[in-house]
Amino acid sequence: MHHAYIDKFAYQDSPIHRLDSRVKFIVVLVFTAVVISLPRASFSILVCYAVGPFAILVLGKVPLRFAFKHILLVSPFILILALSCPLYDKTPVTVAFGPFLWQTSLGWMRCFAILGKFIVTMMALIALVSTTRFSDLLTGLQKLGLPKLLIIQLGFLYRYIFVLIDRAHHILRARQGRRLRNLGVKAELKIAAAMLGSLFVRSIDTAERINIAMQARGFDGSWRTLSKLQIRRSDLLFALTAALFVLGLYIFVPHLL
Amino acid sequence: MPKAIEIENFSYSYPDGTAALREITLSVKQGEKIALIGPNGAGKSTLLLAMGGFVKGTGKVLIDGLQINRKNLKKIRTLLTSCLENPDDQLFMPTLFDDVAFGPLNMGLEPKEVKKRVADALQTVGLANMADKAPHHLSAGQKRSAAIATVLSMAPKIITLDEPDSQLDPRNRNNLTKLLAALPQTLIIGTCDMNFAAELAGRAILLDKGCIIADGDAKKIMSDSKLMAEHGLEVPAQFGASGYRSSRN
Repeated sequence: MHHAYIDKFAYQDSPIHRLDSRVKFIVVLVFTAVVISLPRASFSILVCYAVGPFAILVLGKVPLRFAFKHILLVSPFILILALSCPLYDKTPVTVAFGPFLWQTSLGWMRCFAILGKFIVTMMALIALVSTTRFSDLLTGLQKLGLPKLLIIQLGFLYRYIFVLIDRAHHILRARQGRRLRNLGVKAELKIAAAMLGSLFVRSIDTAERINIAMQARGFDGSWRTLSKLQIRRSDLLFALTAALFVLGLYIFVPHLL
Repeated sequence: MPKAIEIENFSYSYPDGTAALREITLSVKQGEKIALIGPNGAGKSTLLLAMGGFVKGTGKVLIDGLQINRKNLKKIRTLLTSCLENPDDQLFMPTLFDDVAFGPLNMGLEPKEVKKRVADALQTVGLANMADKAPHHLSAGQKRSAAIATVLSMAPKIITLDEPDSQLDPRNRNNLTKLLAALPQTLIIGTCDMNFAAELAGRAILLDKGCIIADGDAKKIMSDSKLMAEHGLEVPAQFGASGYRSSRN
């Protein structure tokens, strides 16, 4: 079955793709922290910050439509949080946009700030995963000192989530093929529980077989991989440019706008 | 030279008490290619797991002269490597390179040697340009070849393969047959596909209900239509008969 992999553009080749995953990860992490902690997050300021991830997406040949589609996919979680702001904070404020002025509430301002920050940081995150192979990202995270156990779990999650989704689809299809009438909520819930149970048991079976495959190839509990990462001049140049960009925006933009 | 595999009176029962293998005794010479045939539930997979030291029963299992026990297990895993039925179980790393390198790295080889082995194994199975691919981006045939590469990179003396031809179309099955036929290692291939078994193996071991029913020349065993039908199998096309129909007539 075909899956819309989040890293499907990570297998392309571009100057951004060739950058070291550790450098890209640190840059995105710092950028995200800076954007989240912005005290004033007006539309104009956030647009300035969005130039960074936008440039990476363009240079990395990642279609903007793909990026916005994935932002939309995860947006419901943030939307709930953002849209609750106008409900509890109704302090009136006057907003200026060029020569225009209008009255709104502090809650709505917070709502747009949360949404704006979410879009900019998500763009940065998508730029990272769309220009970095997941395996390289894991190796980079391991080199940066993340616990090995967490890296192994992330690796298995990435490797088997699609296998699990396929299995769930097969079970649902088998159920759909024999669903001749509506059995009512209680019976349907019972069937859903049985289907989930079957998926769970099959996952355990798979885990046992993977364990056998690992032991058959000499696994003794120590996770060994060959690191292919290397910091080059281009990585340092990228890190420097990103640092100047973020620092410049943080210091100068609030005074200019 | 010690026998590749020697099994003496090996029996194994599942935790619920069901006997999976009963008094199995067999010996395999170095370099032999053996088809382990039998109907579903005959005990083929369990016997292959026993050869890899994954199930503990009663009796003796020796791999290249070494008895399977806790002390010898690490050495045995470098001598005999198992390839599981489902390539998705065999390929668990984020990239094909990492998967093929997994065994050699666990053997403690130097990075240079690991890279050489990975390149050689991928070349052998025809996936030389796919080292950086994620396993879930491979086709079923490529996954099967990749699963075999993960075993070849360890350069074992013996390879056990469980239903290696399952879910393969005729073209990929033919490619797999050629690949396995060219390997110098001792091969034990568990399969329900008699045509596949007939193409590859010089010797067949017929297993049913956990017991060895017949062990000997593959052609002699697999062309015995009565024996094959009794155990829910069919005579392969290469050996002339048309399976169930001929035995029933």
